[in-house]
Amino acid sequence: MDMINTPGGILDTDRPGQGIQDLVGAGVDDVLLDLSGFCSAWELETLGEEPLQKARKEGGKVLVSEHPSELYFRAKPLLEQYEKARLRTRTVRAPYLLRNTKRQDLNGLLFDLAKESLKVCKKAGASDLIVSPLFGRGGKEEEWKRNREYYLKLARVAGEHGITILLENQCRDVNGHQIRGICSEAEEAAWWVDRLNEAAGEKRFGFCMDTGVCNLCGQNMREFVLSMGSRIKAVILRDCNGREEVSALPFTCFGTGGRPQTDWLGLIRGLREIQFEGQLILDFADTAAAFSPLLRPKLLGLAKATLEYFRWQVRMEQFLKEHPSMVLFGAGNMCRNYMKCYGEMYPPLFTCDNNQKLWGTKFCGLEVKPPESLKCLPKDCAIFICNIYYREIERQIRGMGIENEIAFFNDEYMPSFYVDRLKRNE
Amino acid sequence: MLRIGVQTKNIVIDSAPEEGFAQMRRAGFSCADFSLNSYLSNHSLYRSENNRFFDRSVSELEQYFTPHKYGAQAAGIAINQLHMPYPNYVPQGTQELNDYLWNVVAPKSMAVCSFFDCPHLVVHGFKLAYFLGSEEAEWKRTEAFLDTLAPMAKEMGITICLENLYEGLGGHLVEGPCCNARKAAERIDRMNEQYQAEVFGFCFDTGHANLVGIDFESFLTTLDHRLKVLHIHDNDGVSDLHQIPFTFTKTRENQPSTDWNGWIRGLKKIGFDGVLSFETAPVLASFPEEMNMDVLSLIARIGEYFSEAIRNESMKEEMSYKLWET
Repeated sequence: MDMINTPGGILDTDRPGQGIQDLVGAGVDDVLLDLSGFCSAWELETLGEEPLQKARKEGGKVLVSEHPSELYFRAKPLLEQYEKARLRTRTVRAPYLLRNTKRQDLNGLLFDLAKESLKVCKKAGASDLIVSPLFGRGGKEEEWKRNREYYLKLARVAGEHGITILLENQCRDVNGHQIRGICSEAEEAAWWVDRLNEAAGEKRFGFCMDTGVCNLCGQNMREFVLSMGSRIKAVILRDCNGREEVSALPFTCFGTGGRPQTDWLGLIRGLREIQFEGQLILDFADTAAAFSPLLRPKLLGLAKATLEYFRWQVRMEQFLKEHPSMVLFGAGNMCRNYMKCYGEMYPPLFTCDNNQKLWGTKFCGLEVKPPESLKCLPKDCAIFICNIYYREIERQIRGMGIENEIAFFNDEYMPSFYVDRLKRNE
Repeated sequence: MLRIGVQTKNIVIDSAPEEGFAQMRRAGFSCADFSLNSYLSNHSLYRSENNRFFDRSVSELEQYFTPHKYGAQAAGIAINQLHMPYPNYVPQGTQELNDYLWNVVAPKSMAVCSFFDCPHLVVHGFKLAYFLGSEEAEWKRTEAFLDTLAPMAKEMGITICLENLYEGLGGHLVEGPCCNARKAAERIDRMNEQYQAEVFGFCFDTGHANLVGIDFESFLTTLDHRLKVLHIHDNDGVSDLHQIPFTFTKTRENQPSTDWNGWIRGLKKIGFDGVLSFETAPVLASFPEEMNMDVLSLIARIGEYFSEAIRNESMKEEMSYKLWET
């Protein structure tokens, strides 16, 4: 599973040095190249409006919207700096329109920009290009016909460069309210991807699932992921409050008591079920922009850890599979949840607990032993801590001189849950 | 013109139900959505409280609701749909409570529905996806519940209507049971086939759909003839406010932020000829009581507008154009 950061909010495309330094400093090695940084949605929206065009030209810039072939040359200095810093670019996003665009006249230009984006992909060594669909009048059929033609034309160019085109779920703006738009219903999106691949005669198309869009549309992400299945090549991880479209760091949008407002549970359940191994793309541009430049390096560290955490959660089952010999530490709710969902498939030898009253008893079919029993484990047996006081327990185990691998289990995103919780010390 | 209805909650009161029905008639309604759910509220059920209203025998319930039945008849109001109390299952509730909801409240709700000669009963699916892990597992439980009601429904000539619902996620309302039109249609067809009768249908709730960004036109088109009843109301896309359609805007152009044009197109496409029923009881609580008639008349007038729009062929193209202009 590849982990990719979007540098939005971190990196200034006109002066990228510091942003790149921060990214590299945080250990980031793969970034998404968003070409709207060189031809923004706003530039496209105001294309042809005299005062704005004039102001931009006076700034000495060639407008990519007027000269699409300039796209690569605008991106080139940044790509060179990425290369120097050994930052990879696997995925590129083509320029796109505003959600509430009034422009119905730019389909030709959008095709040219997408075509130029494919060239940028090739030069950057990227394998995937995210291309937004064309909007316009008419119902679903017209929508499909228009986009079928558009994507298949692009597929010919993409094929020459060996690039996969990723469709993406879209919102539709109804006077400021974002509702489900093109490819936002997974069954429809899957149909689009399959029909396009059929027509292209090869697997030229895949899907990029934007969790921000799913969240704005209040969607059950598990169902979305399962309907899309292996068509999902990339997942954009971004948070929002379900009302306004922003790109916030996951887990930063929450209600009372810290309850998440995004269906991370459904997403992780779904990605685990399909054994997702594609790209996880973290987009936290608005969180980054909200932080002082002085704090951004620290924020990047947290962002990277967040991305790794998602990968770890999604790969939970593979992680368990990699440990054929294991014991648990903890005989409470987390242990109970482990045994409910994974106990049969990945059975531990026993569990242990600091609560003396439990020693010698059975819990969820496991013998509960004192921590001292860990000293007798075979060397290849891992100890999975099933208790939220992870670091404290890890310290305790190490303090006992035990050198076996210590791993953390986590039951926040289980395939299913008990309706009740055991009372403390029960 | 399509018939227009409204829920009885906040209009019809037990001490003088005939007055409430007469008021509905004067305001311009010809149908009612009987709020049986008011007699065992969801708030109390989620607190595991049971007011024992449904301890009454069926004949006692019939006796209790006789004034309502005759009040409606006297006013010329047809009770076209009835809302069963909900939830039908409380995940953290006691076995006793859940047994009561399943074995007492549900069948007695059907009996009341039948007593009113009401053809549609709106039922909520179980909200269990979080615990069970999937929508399919959740539906399986709901279907087991519905299976116990279906024979009664067939015998009584009632269509049980499943409603699109939402769930809460840290205060953010997201899709809950029955938010996938294709699955809903397949399940309704399969169960109706099984019972060899139209015992199941769908209740489309505009407010719930708006909260979770459902494309009205697409959803309604997929449901097609399975759509039997409506819950029409509006909100800000954030909270389940049950307000008057066209109330909410989000931009300075002040165009509605709910896709009413798509809704009309959807109903038009499928040739909906049922009742345009409003679920707007909270509006009557927010306006001063002295304005009740004015408020109800406005709601009924909006119903007339919808009816005209759904029936008017030329409006279809105009609205399709407008959608892309906004």
